[in-house]
Amino acid sequence: MTSIDITSTDTTRMSSDISLLDPGHQAAGLTANNVACWFGTKKVLEGVNLDMAPGQVTALIGPSGCGKSTFLRTLNRMHELVPSATLAGEILIDGVDIYRGAIPVTDVRRRIGMVFQKPNPFPAMTVAENVLAGLKLSGLKTTRSERDELIESCLSKAGLWNEVKNRLGDPGRALSGGQQQRLCIARSLAVSPQVLLMDEPCSALDPTSTRRIEQTISEISETITVVIVTHNMQQAQRVSHRCAFFLAAENEPGRIVEEGPTKDIFTNPRDSRTNDYVNGRFG
Amino acid sequence: MTTTLNTTKETKIDTEERIKIREIEMVDVIVMVGSALSAFALSYFFFQILLPVSGALGFLVCWYVFFNIISTVAVWELRGAIKAKDHLARVFIWTGGLAAVVPLILVLVYVIGKGYHSLRPQFFTQDQKFVGALSESTEGGGAHAIVGTLEQVGIASLISVPLGITTAVYLNEVKGRLTKPLRMIIDAMSAVPSIVAGLFIYAAWILALGNQQSGIAGSLALAVLFLPTVTRTSEVVLRLVPGGLREASLALGGTEWRTTSRVVLPTAKSGLVTAVILGVARVIGETAPLILTVGGAFVMNANPFSGKQDALPYFVFRLIRFPQEAQVARAWTGALVLVILVLVLFVIARAIGGRGPDHISRLKKRRLKRKGLA
Repeated sequence: MTSIDITSTDTTRMSSDISLLDPGHQAAGLTANNVACWFGTKKVLEGVNLDMAPGQVTALIGPSGCGKSTFLRTLNRMHELVPSATLAGEILIDGVDIYRGAIPVTDVRRRIGMVFQKPNPFPAMTVAENVLAGLKLSGLKTTRSERDELIESCLSKAGLWNEVKNRLGDPGRALSGGQQQRLCIARSLAVSPQVLLMDEPCSALDPTSTRRIEQTISEISETITVVIVTHNMQQAQRVSHRCAFFLAAENEPGRIVEEGPTKDIFTNPRDSRTNDYVNGRFG
Repeated sequence: MTTTLNTTKETKIDTEERIKIREIEMVDVIVMVGSALSAFALSYFFFQILLPVSGALGFLVCWYVFFNIISTVAVWELRGAIKAKDHLARVFIWTGGLAAVVPLILVLVYVIGKGYHSLRPQFFTQDQKFVGALSESTEGGGAHAIVGTLEQVGIASLISVPLGITTAVYLNEVKGRLTKPLRMIIDAMSAVPSIVAGLFIYAAWILALGNQQSGIAGSLALAVLFLPTVTRTSEVVLRLVPGGLREASLALGGTEWRTTSRVVLPTAKSGLVTAVILGVARVIGETAPLILTVGGAFVMNANPFSGKQDALPYFVFRLIRFPQEAQVARAWTGALVLVILVLVLFVIARAIGGRGPDHISRLKKRRLKRKGLA
């Protein structure tokens, strides 16, 4: 297993100049082949093979410290932001390797968006600016009507439009925690990602906001592949089509114990550890 | 639900009696006043009758110490050991706060008292061209020194602010290989005595490169002092920007540069303005680095690139040593104007800097409205 040199930057730019505002884009499939991760010399993940089919919601479950979040962050090259982090294996988006392929890292992250555990709207921007932040950050020019349309459609998709349509000029952090998280989802949707990664997006939210976000997930999953890390078993059952159960034995790297359709994982698991975990007997 | 919302506008008088949570109890007041009085009496006894010592400062210290002892014992008796320690800590904190603020106020009051006699509007418009040794202190003005200070500090900030913030970005965002040595150099720079900065520019810019004394030489000397202050403060301010914001920006497909320029710096804006203010405050009152570099002048020279210039602190420094009272009064007025100038600059900086990232300024609101985003 050779480790990938994530410090090398490829200058070749992909010629796919599809407009980001093009609604005709398709959800993309993600494939992880034999992925392993290290922080310095500590191996935290090994032998991960997972297929995340286009237009489906995949939930990553497992106890804390088993490498779910680390794995999620390898999927859009956020893992490498930790200075000592390295990885091996390959991750393919529609069959193209995101680490060794010709896709620039900024394009990888734009096509594979991410929502974080803690709501993190940009404090120096208004609600409307937050939605458009992705366009600004990737240097895309838009006309005023395009912007208006994008703000409304993204906020609607995130289930926030009715609450904030009269508050678009307020600072992003003036919203409540649940609204902020939905704003972050709207912000991710604005750059038309093909995949959306969510790292425990509801762990800091109240039940109502959680339900709204779950609703959003099921709505967007028709056009966007969703991968979600969650500690909430009911949530995994409610939103996901497939489930992957991660587990790490003491002082050993995390692995996928079992992976399959959500129904099977919860009602008919093959592995006894999965059975114990989904039924709340440990973790 | 047992409570009902009172949505009508008419004012209803609440009948419930509120619990007095924040009320100070009479007995505490009596203990404090009593302790203060007995401590005063005790120190009076020591100073005037028992010991052959005198002096206001000693008396105050003595009074303070006695007050602490007596009031702590009293609170101990009344409320127990924990409360007594709490009381003592509170007294110390209050004393510390007052000790920090009182000298500041005294300096201000003193400068105002000394300087306002000779402060006339023409101080801002005239120089010292027609001022003789025996002229009244209200004649002439310090316009040449004000212009000099503004130009020198302005040029120094034009050099140091971009350089300092860029260095801070390097130290905190890029985190390159030079981070450690750079930080050490910046630390060493902030410890450079201001006269050494002046000497350095005098040796390097005036003697070695053959330039004349001028405003720009002064600016360079000030920039040497300005740079480390701005850099270190900006670095701390940038470190306070949550890492989650950087990650969010990168996860949206932002480049490192756009993340820094569109997310990190705007979020830290008001803190960065504070960094600049601290830098200006560091240099605007400096005399030592200017003595060898700007040369000093009694007449207006608005060109910082050629000819000797004056600066307010240098103006004060020169005039205060004259034997004539009028000159000394003029120096005090110069000092007062310097204080006013600093105040004005700070107010302007705060207005530009805004009140933290969550506050959206009126200017920005107007810009957003134009773009249809508000």
